[in-house]
Amino acid sequence: MKYNEQTRRYFETAARAGVLSGPSVYRGAAGNREHGTWVQFDVQTASGILKEARFLAFGCPHTIAVAAWVAEQVLGQPVIRRLPDSVQAISLQFAVPVEKLGRLLIIEDAWLAALDSAITEA
Amino acid sequence: MNAAAMPVYLDHAATTPVDPRVAARMAEVLNSESEFGNPASGHDYGDTAGALIEAARAQVAAAVGACANEVVWTSGATEANNLAIFGVAQYYRDSGRHIITTRIEHKSVLDPCRELERRGWRISYLPPDGGGLVNPDQVAAALHPDTVLVSMVQVNNEIGVVQDIAAIGALCAKHGGARLHVDAAQSVGKCAVDFAALGVDLLSLSAHKAYGPKGAGALVVSQRGGARARVQLMPLQFGGGQERGLRAGTLATHQAVGMGMAFALAAGQLQEEFARIGQLQQRLWQGLSAIGGVLRNGNAQHSVPHLLNVSFEGVEGESLLAAVRPHLAVSTGSACTSSLAEPSFVLRALGRSERLSESSLRFGLGRSSSERDIDTAIAVLAREVARLRRIAGA
Repeated sequence: MKYNEQTRRYFETAARAGVLSGPSVYRGAAGNREHGTWVQFDVQTASGILKEARFLAFGCPHTIAVAAWVAEQVLGQPVIRRLPDSVQAISLQFAVPVEKLGRLLIIEDAWLAALDSAITEA
Repeated sequence: MNAAAMPVYLDHAATTPVDPRVAARMAEVLNSESEFGNPASGHDYGDTAGALIEAARAQVAAAVGACANEVVWTSGATEANNLAIFGVAQYYRDSGRHIITTRIEHKSVLDPCRELERRGWRISYLPPDGGGLVNPDQVAAALHPDTVLVSMVQVNNEIGVVQDIAAIGALCAKHGGARLHVDAAQSVGKCAVDFAALGVDLLSLSAHKAYGPKGAGALVVSQRGGARARVQLMPLQFGGGQERGLRAGTLATHQAVGMGMAFALAAGQLQEEFARIGQLQQRLWQGLSAIGGVLRNGNAQHSVPHLLNVSFEGVEGESLLAAVRPHLAVSTGSACTSSLAEPSFVLRALGRSERLSESSLRFGLGRSSSERDIDTAIAVLAREVARLRRIAGA
């Protein structure tokens, strides 16, 4: 399978892969490794702002790249229950084939679960 | 991309580079002012081309222990497999409509069998054991009075396991009506192939798996007499009567010459290469197994050393292939099916889980493979598997 430049770059660097610990850290996950895609986000908030984010991902290069991109894009953003861009826009940006759009929804679910946790517990 | 910038090539089971000596000889034929004739023409140009074809036919036959008059040229092993399966099925349709094959055949065997199934034939798909071997007893149990064909691969194209063809040949001979077709596309240059001694009726061959050109192959059709009648085939294409009426069409002299020379070279280098590749495979397996969470697919005691298929725990298959792609040319399975985002049906038949089947790589070692290539592969896999496991939190 061919990947566009942005997918390759985020897949290869996968910056912010990992977990967070400490105060004001919230976690959300979605998917299932046995089914091929699993994503987890950790976020750290302060005064309603996303100060730090990390991700773990078991999945295809698109899944890893988009999760890495999400974890990068949200830094400094207010804790609002949404992805940095629409699933449709992200799919175009990363040239995600239509048969893989479900994996973006798993990323969205994981991200929203992390934010729900932050919003509920904050 | 220039050759120096290309990744290490470890996909010789998909195809091999044409041996430079073969390419040079093919170019000579193509450029010759006297060898371009139609081999079927009744003049000096035709006779010259025809003599080249017959010399090449003898080379192919000698490489697999057959007689020259048993070799029928085809465009490759896929055509040979189709000709064998449909040819036997059509010719013997009034004798029986049962065929035995296995679940781990190449698609060019399985798809014709499925097509015959749609047309009313009964197909028995024998399951292999966890190591990829099909026990001859399974074949014996599956043989019925109306069985007309047993079709089995000799060297599996994904895991390199070698089946006990001689034992199955003996069973078919005892049965009497069941002809044995063997897909030997991966065999030449990797293991000894003795068409006559194995008791095989039909043998499919491919040139490009043995450093010959793509688009060339052969079906060896037994002309042995003896206790049972010679195998007969219904041709699939008509229009010229070439190849004893079994495969119409003007023969490609340069392709036949290339295949003949490639097979002669492969047979001559077999023992030396087998030992050298065996050492490289051992080095590769030791290095990969040291990564941890790496499982070998296929029975190592009954495999050619040219293929090594391994599953990596804790990594996703597509990401693994993408991660190694800048450095290594390997595949997840058969090149004929690896573009499909599905786990290998061969590994699934061996009992591997869907996840492990997806996270498997096939390493195809060949003449150009070196210790340096192997060490590069080990280093790349160690680094990328560790990285993907870290990203996955495994």
